[in-house]
Amino acid sequence: MDPLNGAGRPANHPPPPELSRFLLAQSPAGPRDMATPPLHPPIRADGTVVEVRHEGGSNRRISLLVPGWPGSEPGQFAMLSPGARSAVPRTDPLLPRPMAVFRSQATDDGHLVEFLFKVTGRGTALMAEALTGQVVGVVGPLGRPFPRVPEAGACVLVGGGTGIASLYALAIREAPTAMLLLGAGSRDDLMGVEDFEAVDDLEIRIATEDGSRGEQGLVTQLLERVLDEAQSPPPTVFSCGPTPMMARVAEIAAARGATCWASLENNMACGFGVCLGCAAPIRAGGYALVCNTGPVFEASTVTWEAMP
Amino acid sequence: MTPDQVDMTVDLGGIELRNPVLTASGTFGYGTEFSPFLELESLGGFVAKSLTLEPRTGNPPPRIAEAPSGMLNAISLENVGVEAFIRERLPALSDEVTVIASVFGTEIELYGRVTERLDGVSGVAGIEVNASCPHVKAGGIEFGQDPKALAALVRTVRQSTRLPMLVKLSPNVTSIAEMARVAEAEGADGLCLINAVQALDVDVDTRRPVLANGLGGLSGPAIRPIALRMVWQAASAVDLPICGIGGIASAEDAVKFLLCGATAVQVGTANYLDPGVAGQIVTGIAEYAARHGFARIADLVGALETPQGG
Ligand SMILES: Cc1cc2nc3c(=O)[nH]c(=O)nc-3n(C[C@H](O)[C@H](O)[C@H](O)COP(=O)(O)O)c2cc1C
Ligand code: FES
Repeated sequence: MDPLNGAGRPANHPPPPELSRFLLAQSPAGPRDMATPPLHPPIRADGTVVEVRHEGGSNRRISLLVPGWPGSEPGQFAMLSPGARSAVPRTDPLLPRPMAVFRSQATDDGHLVEFLFKVTGRGTALMAEALTGQVVGVVGPLGRPFPRVPEAGACVLVGGGTGIASLYALAIREAPTAMLLLGAGSRDDLMGVEDFEAVDDLEIRIATEDGSRGEQGLVTQLLERVLDEAQSPPPTVFSCGPTPMMARVAEIAAARGATCWASLENNMACGFGVCLGCAAPIRAGGYALVCNTGPVFEASTVTWEAMP
Repeated sequence: MTPDQVDMTVDLGGIELRNPVLTASGTFGYGTEFSPFLELESLGGFVAKSLTLEPRTGNPPPRIAEAPSGMLNAISLENVGVEAFIRERLPALSDEVTVIASVFGTEIELYGRVTERLDGVSGVAGIEVNASCPHVKAGGIEFGQDPKALAALVRTVRQSTRLPMLVKLSPNVTSIAEMARVAEAEGADGLCLINAVQALDVDVDTRRPVLANGLGGLSGPAIRPIALRMVWQAASAVDLPICGIGGIASAEDAVKFLLCGATAVQVGTANYLDPGVAGQIVTGIAEYAARHGFARIADLVGALETPQGG
């Protein structure tokens, strides 16, 4: 018996009315542009692996054909179960992995949804070994997206390591008033750069710690310079990457009066607000769930020094 | 016989269920979170996240970690509180959904007060007493680990409600049979087992426990054989109906619990992997029963063929 396999919820099933209320009823982690469109309710589906491609270093791109995928907003993610719904279901590793939706496009057979990831453990290793035609459990789209930049404002996107993948849809939405800053240890750790380069009117600057691509140094140093040269009002800053990078980005933005949004990448078990495992400490006291209050938070609301 | 001819109804200590598949406390939120993924009405019911008198926040992160075929969690008491549950969460659910409220607290008296508040609230079909909470006055040992504390707890909750009362036992004991008898003697209408198994994992780079809390609870398929053993032992020790919990991820897993003496089951961690899985387990159990010629699910309960002295 294949315990986790089976028909997903039919694509034409009407979204339950309480869902959008549920997603929005969570206490917002900062002021948000209310013009954000209503979110698609998530689905659970069996994604069929179309391709797993090397993206340099230990980075991979997995493309899944997901029947019924409703589309997603920049910053949203999906939970991918690497082994659970294969022909021989696996229980180890057990938990699904949160992955930012890099890109999705409609095809005749369903949406082709792409994710970029780095092989860091058993779950991602299994995903990297997935063969064309194999099935990966998908639950998504999840989380609240990056808010829109205020009318006529500019923005700076700061991505580090695997966090870069969260910014692609945002870069498309916000170009041509966006500047993208990418950082990584080395050239091989950068992901998706060619896709970003293909985005019209997007200015890109890169920093690597070893100088193998772009400037030698940290992406946060690039950000300081960009913000210092920027005209008033300061651009909105969006960031996704390792916690120390995002904490530093928040500091740099705050010191210059720039609004800063950070997309957090905590461990998750469910992705839709029921396991309470993804808690992030917030300045107002207590914790917020990264999966459904976030993953995007106004950076000044996060207690960075208490982040795991 | 076809699957839709199978009589799926069961009686769990006075709670009439349309089928034996419930979802476990703490893994199903307050129900509506799952409405994008399955028809809540298709389940036997669900047990809501354990409630305290006041809203509570939980432990610092990391609160969860992967374990071999399972996960560790240390969420602590985080929940919306009994008032918000009654005012906001229950009304969001259709009358057709069977809801069991789980209660916990750090003192026996607090369990009693949450339970009293839930008594007579429309839409609550029964109470599940989560005995795995650390008993603060007794130095943090779980109520369910000490027969005297468990007896006092069950007695107090019994006096606080007319609703069917299920007692959810802790697996972190030497004799589950003894704990089952204690709960039966104090008036439980049914038993639920098992809760998560106390466990520890270590990060060798930081030389710290992987969870900020240190210890956590292990759940998922890793604990299923332990849970089956305990359900079987408890079923042999008492006359109460039992709800089997622990690592259930498929209909086959669920059937194992029924065979070992459980009247119903709860699906926990598997809801995270596939939020529609509980609905598929309902269908799969009916298919199993039809295939094996069981006209009533109730006939499967305790149908395990045991070896001599087993
Ligand atoms: C993240 C998490 C939170 C839980 N919270 C509760 C809870 O609030 N009350 C409770 O009685 N059990 C709680 N449990 C235990 C489950 O209800 C269940 O007894 C246990 O996980 C074993 O079943 P499983 O292996 O199917 O998950 C929780 C389990 C997990 C994984
Ligand atoms: S990942 Fe489960 S609550 Fe956020």
